[in-house]
Amino acid sequence: MPPRIRVRPRALCMRCTHASTPISTQTASYASIATASATVPAPEAHQSFRATAPIRLYPPTQPPSHKPPEVRKTQLHRQYQSLLRSSPLILIFQHNNVKAVELMSIRRELAVALRKVDAERIKNGQDPLADEIRLQIIQTNIFASALRVVEFFNPEEHITEQPEQQILTHGLSRRAHEIANNRKLKLELEPILSGPLAVVAFPSVAPQYLKAVMSILSPSKGDFPAPTRRANPDYYEPAVQQGLQKLMLLGARVEGKVFDVGGTKWVGGIDGGIDGLRAQLVHMLQGVGGSLTSALEGASKSLYFTVEVRRLDMEEKEKGSEEKKD
Amino acid sequence: MITRFLTDVRVTFNPFSLRSKPARLFLSLIPPNARNDGMKVESKMLPRNSEEPAKLAVKFKDGKEMDLDLSKMRITEVMEEVDRHSRQLARKEELLGN
Repeated sequence: MPPRIRVRPRALCMRCTHASTPISTQTASYASIATASATVPAPEAHQSFRATAPIRLYPPTQPPSHKPPEVRKTQLHRQYQSLLRSSPLILIFQHNNVKAVELMSIRRELAVALRKVDAERIKNGQDPLADEIRLQIIQTNIFASALRVVEFFNPEEHITEQPEQQILTHGLSRRAHEIANNRKLKLELEPILSGPLAVVAFPSVAPQYLKAVMSILSPSKGDFPAPTRRANPDYYEPAVQQGLQKLMLLGARVEGKVFDVGGTKWVGGIDGGIDGLRAQLVHMLQGVGGSLTSALEGASKSLYFTVEVRRLDMEEKEKGSEEKKD
Repeated sequence: MITRFLTDVRVTFNPFSLRSKPARLFLSLIPPNARNDGMKVESKMLPRNSEEPAKLAVKFKDGKEMDLDLSKMRITEVMEEVDRHSRQLARKEELLGN
């Protein structure tokens, strides 16, 4: 389907009136010009046309894109951009020929585990996020391109240089494409973005959820134990287990920074998430405050002692000299 | 790639190195049912700052072992190396008439 371009009748009318009777529209706009225009010859037709606001040939909700917008690739590109912009924490997996049944059962287990975390969060009065976290298989090259746009294209940049020209700020525009296509700029994630990839995106950095996801998708014995056979017998179905063998965690992108598997485990191991970290920080600062006051006190105390000792010393000396004089 | 004759595949790679691409692609070439049919696949991920080259160790059904350094190969070369022995095994099997 070609892009719908609405023709605005008013814009067309403006063109017609300018071409036929330029003076009448010109005099009507400003009173001061109206007096002047009696002596000054009428401006040429194309000049008066420029003086009006530039006509936008597209609807405001559909700015023109560099690649044809009706293609699936373009829409995926846009979708991945919004995914990357909206999720600060993204886990990247490689999937090696995972079958549809296996993928389905893995997704089911993931949803079950996340719902458990949700129940805990609701008890604590925090908002649940489980519906927004899902395993998504991505088109690797389109994702890489979208990541380049997200990393390197800043829509606010150069926006004031040419005020009369319409500058497009969306991620599919030609400007975004040109900036992102600069091969001198290197992505940190570039070596990872090849081969078959899947992504788990989190709408916020929530280590609780990260922990749940890690313990389902890439369990390790120490930090992220898989659910026990008794607690969750479905997890040990052959479909799930065979699918998990083919899923490898490669790394993570946390708030623009790239972490390897060890780093991801570290992020997942933060107890209590951001609140836990805040508590730790407060604790630490309290400790620092205490030690700081004692340190300052110590300095003043020791100063007092030295001065006192010196005073006593001087007094003794004075006494000594007085005795000698006598 | 002929994977019928592989019994054991071990891959070690650092995902953050550009030279580990063939290692990852090799893993993605293993068919979905291979693990069910008795192939052992082990993949070991190195930490990000390790300089170790990507390695592939393959065992065949006749007991031959093959160690490849993947850091200077392309995936087509890796497939050639592995297939060379697999084709011999396939021919032997064909001649025996099983």
